[in-house]
Amino acid sequence: MNSSTTNPVIRLNNVHHRFGKKPVLDGVSFELPQGETLALLGSNGAGKTTLLNLLLGLFKPKSGTAEVLGLTPHKHGRKLRPQVGFVPAIPDVYDWMTPRDLYRFLAPQYRTWNAAAVDEDIERLSVPMDIRFRDLSRGQAMKAMTIAALGFEPPLLLLDEPFAGLDPTAREDLLAALLERIDTGRQSILIATHNLEMAARLADRVVILHEGRVTQAGPIDQLVPEAQPPKPLPRGLHELFVRGTQDQESVR
Amino acid sequence: MDWTTDPTLSTTPSRQIVDKVLDALARGELGAGDSLPSVRKMAGLALVNHNTVARAYRELEVLGAVQGQNGRGVFVTDAGPAVAARERSASTLEAARQALEEALRAGHDPQSLRALLDHLAAAQGSPETPVQGPGPARKTA
Repeated sequence: MNSSTTNPVIRLNNVHHRFGKKPVLDGVSFELPQGETLALLGSNGAGKTTLLNLLLGLFKPKSGTAEVLGLTPHKHGRKLRPQVGFVPAIPDVYDWMTPRDLYRFLAPQYRTWNAAAVDEDIERLSVPMDIRFRDLSRGQAMKAMTIAALGFEPPLLLLDEPFAGLDPTAREDLLAALLERIDTGRQSILIATHNLEMAARLADRVVILHEGRVTQAGPIDQLVPEAQPPKPLPRGLHELFVRGTQDQESVR
Repeated sequence: MDWTTDPTLSTTPSRQIVDKVLDALARGELGAGDSLPSVRKMAGLALVNHNTVARAYRELEVLGAVQGQNGRGVFVTDAGPAVAARERSASTLEAARQALEEALRAGHDPQSLRALLDHLAAAQGSPETPVQGPGPARKTA
């Protein structure tokens, strides 16, 4: 809550990037204050995954500046990445590993590994410990990997579509686990998703990305007028999302 | 106790938590000295962000229904149940007034609304006795 007194965990300022001639990030600016959760909303191809890769320091933006945990990602990637819990949209572990192998592999690498909490999460999310990742459904694999990312209690978590491929019950279980495990005030989360209900439940603030541009950004309760009549989707977020991702021809 | 909030309601999730706690107090499910779930625990139960829960707890504290004790948790104050009764009776009375106004505007006649009220009161009083339909059943007591 004392975000005003500390530096934001993520600060993007007018970031541009292109693949070939196609601009994928087109002047993106936003901040994530410490201890808050930001939902990055956008349809497929909006630039969400590119943005996550930028934050991880996997490439240098063509222009603009990015700062993550006080570091410049593309320069200090090696120092930065151990402090970031990243769960990619597509599981990136060796497919012959089982979740048990994964946790056994990770535990000794992090001084902050919280074995008790990991065991608790494994139980609550019923992760099959002895099935290889290649034989797990995407949903099961995502749960196993999210537990791993939470396990070392990093100051920043980046989650790419963690709820995709989960049935509604599993989605709620994962959401509850995230909500209970996040260390209030100390940990910050950026979650790329197009699940609006999960975004509304998890996030303090929302950034809507459309064709590489930020079309809406701000604290969730300021984006969504409070005194609105009931809407079919979370408090008007649906409308904002649709408006935010509609074709921007008129704006250009 | 079901703490889950509903993001499709027009009431903010934070207000929904405040109302649920006040309801639990008013019904006697929570009493003076009882502790509320920790902010993180409640976030998992209500399925909302912990800052939303913290906001709700602060509001309950301002109302005087609960008090945070450094590091130990959040506890219902001695005045908690009375505060809840007061808050809930005020806000439900206002909601009822608005609903009745709307019903009158929509053309319901006062007689049938009165009958409905009697019917509801009778049903609340003795939940086991099935009551007559919402027709012109009057004067049950």
